[in-house]
Amino acid sequence: MGIDLEGHTVRTFDGDILALRMRVLEMGGLAIDQVQRAVQALVQGDDEAARAVMGRDAQVVDYARAIEEEAVGLIARRQPVASDLRAILTIGKVATDVERVGHGARKIARLAIELHETGGEAPLQRFYHDVRKISRLALAMLRDALDCFDRVELGDAERVARRDQEIDAEFRAALRDLVTYAMEDQRYIRSIIQTVFLMKALERIGDHARNIALAVPGLARRGEGAAPVADLPAAGPGATPRVQSSA
Amino acid sequence: MSTSMAAGEGVRAGVPRLSVSAAADQTQPGEALETKTVGQVTVQNPVMTARAVNVYYGEKRAIKDVSIDIARNAVIAFIGPSGCGKSTFLRCLNRMNDTIDVARVTGTITLDGVDIYDRQQDVVQLRARVGMVFQKPNPFPKSIYENIAYGPRIHGLVASRAELDEVVQTSLQKAGLWDEVKERLEQPGTSLSGGQQQRLCIARAIAVDPEVILMDEPCSALDPIATARIEDLIDELRQNYAIVIVTHNMQQAARVSQRTAYFHLGDLVEVGTTDHIFTNPRHKLTEDYITGRFG
Repeated sequence: MGIDLEGHTVRTFDGDILALRMRVLEMGGLAIDQVQRAVQALVQGDDEAARAVMGRDAQVVDYARAIEEEAVGLIARRQPVASDLRAILTIGKVATDVERVGHGARKIARLAIELHETGGEAPLQRFYHDVRKISRLALAMLRDALDCFDRVELGDAERVARRDQEIDAEFRAALRDLVTYAMEDQRYIRSIIQTVFLMKALERIGDHARNIALAVPGLARRGEGAAPVADLPAAGPGATPRVQSSA
Repeated sequence: MSTSMAAGEGVRAGVPRLSVSAAADQTQPGEALETKTVGQVTVQNPVMTARAVNVYYGEKRAIKDVSIDIARNAVIAFIGPSGCGKSTFLRCLNRMNDTIDVARVTGTITLDGVDIYDRQQDVVQLRARVGMVFQKPNPFPKSIYENIAYGPRIHGLVASRAELDEVVQTSLQKAGLWDEVKERLEQPGTSLSGGQQQRLCIARAIAVDPEVILMDEPCSALDPIATARIEDLIDELRQNYAIVIVTHNMQQAARVSQRTAYFHLGDLVEVGTTDHIFTNPRHKLTEDYITGRFG
């Protein structure tokens, strides 16, 4: 199924909905970039880079606010109904998940700085491999989910949603390793806990990507459960229907 | 009905909306009926029914095999593009099409189970029981009082002047106009504002105790404030009358009605609860129309 959000007689309506979707995709790009930089800052022990990520979170907030304003304005001005209303509300939902990913990056950056401060970096470096792996999986999933949102691809969206399980599995495995390490050497409990939070933040990105993928059907022309109905038969003498009842 | 229309009154405390069971009748499906219309054309205990109705203007078939029920104590909106036949069909319900020479109506339309086209049917009586309000308010060139009193008097519904006074007052109250005109009932109906005139016309229709009130784009000539007052009035009226409203303002249809019927080139394409029609219509033509993809 392709994009079917257009076709309004008032063409600026098409433009408005398209613009709203583009904003969400832009915010998505920013969020993905933020996560990558945050993970990089952790792995390289670069506090300045981490602080830059935290500072840039303000842009995520700006995007989220602007998208909400635009959506509200669209609803007020156009009084959308049926598929249009559903689509605008869906775009809003997706924007919320993307925003949460953006804030997740800030959390990761903050934890990176804290790990550095508590001197937990060195012993925890053995887990950076896991951190990178979860990060890669989560961001790939998010990219694909946003792509499905962009193209309104229902089949792919379903497949993308299932990939969350892989990320969960990786997180649980990493968690087991961390717990084992904690039991062996209790000097770094605090750093281990910070690392758990960090990995959890990355795992949450998978959850948000899943939400986005699952929201994609909301953009399709028909509501849930509604099957497409055939057009009326052509009018003409032969088209008289059978009327069963008596008045 | 309380005089809660008075200016300044806030929430109508203690005036409940229709009970659940009454509301259920409005939209619960009635008898099974096979038509090409998508959705649910019948309701339980309808006040009016239409079966296989066709309307011809000379050779042109303006309404094509339309079957639909009108529910009691509910508002149904007829929507559709210009020329789709919604007003033509509306006029069938009180035989206003009789006044058009070249119009020919086939099929069956009943009011409380009785065929309204039956030879023995008194069409004047019919038009009292199925009242009509038009797009352009059309008060009689009489006083406000006489506008309301005329119908009950002609139909012999009252036995005394006192009774007539009461009918006039009650009708004007129900139409939310009493407080504004009670001090000047002798003034001409035409001295009122557009919105007031329309409410006067509604009061006039109510005065002869109808079962159904037909409204053909009743707010098209009114400003938004007058429109809102009429819509609020419609909400009150449906507790006692069945209302059929033709409107080309989709948002109005969405606001005031419980059921909506979409007409397209003489066909009844889809009927359903208003919620359903405006959130999840089943037919592509309906969806295209309400989302503004007229193509």
